[in-house]
Amino acid sequence: MKIMTCPVNGPRPVSEFFYWGEIRPMPDPDTCSDDEWADYVFNRNGAPGVKKEWWCHSTSNTWFIVERDTEKDMVLRTYLYGEAA
Amino acid sequence: MNAPVSLSPIHDALLARNPLSADWSVMPPAVLGFDGDDAQRAAVVGIADLSHLPRAGAKGPGAAGWLAALGLPVPQQPNSWTTLTDGGLIARLGLTEFLVDGDASITDTLMQAGRAAGVYPVLRQDASFALCGARVNELLLQTCNVDFRTLDAEPSKLILTSMAGVGVTILYTRTSMLPCHRLWCDGTYGLYLWDTLVGIAEELGGGCIGLNALR
Repeated sequence: MKIMTCPVNGPRPVSEFFYWGEIRPMPDPDTCSDDEWADYVFNRNGAPGVKKEWWCHSTSNTWFIVERDTEKDMVLRTYLYGEAA
Repeated sequence: MNAPVSLSPIHDALLARNPLSADWSVMPPAVLGFDGDDAQRAAVVGIADLSHLPRAGAKGPGAAGWLAALGLPVPQQPNSWTTLTDGGLIARLGLTEFLVDGDASITDTLMQAGRAAGVYPVLRQDASFALCGARVNELLLQTCNVDFRTLDAEPSKLILTSMAGVGVTILYTRTSMLPCHRLWCDGTYGLYLWDTLVGIAEELGGGCIGLNALR
């Protein structure tokens, strides 16, 4: 069983969580080029590596951020939005 | 007899078991006893429906201050709870959501109080059960991924987890009733969870019980 640590509820089986995608900073639509905007809207980076992702503990509806190494399938860190950096 | 204006989410399942006695004065009606063996089942693994108890919910960044201003003892730690003076309880679910259960005077006050900034009412139409008995941990181990024996050491803690695939809030209480685990889940999952838990409890030698067996 894989275990993920919710910042509020503690270690729980990963079946209690769902994944909501990589955190991708949005370029300023007023100043970026069409190519930059199209890249943000349509393209995703599937290369393995350390990524920041949105996850949610579904039984308590706790949304938080996971730093996950998708190459080694390891969770490096979990924290609430606002505690970042 | 007047028809009840609200029913427990598992009302039909309760009636199907032909309860010996029920309290029709509360809304929803509450089963007091199923048969003469409630106490024996409660000693092994008993499940009682407490959905009739009044409850209210509020959440938002201003909820803790709003509840404190109304005179409630607000739990300071996330996922913790405390008792109210008249036998009810107030629980802090996560960081900024609260559940008040069991005390009609307080839940009525909360429902009628004016909302403050950053306070949002939460409609609580839960199915609410109590689990008790010597083999209750065996039932919990079959249905959850959390070791609830840790609650014995931390009596003010509550757990939000998945039980038989249903999101539930669980705490362990020794106050005002037989020591038991109190459980809340979305009312629409109530019948499924009730049937699942009663099935396992019956395999363990227990089963459903009325409120009198908890007192």
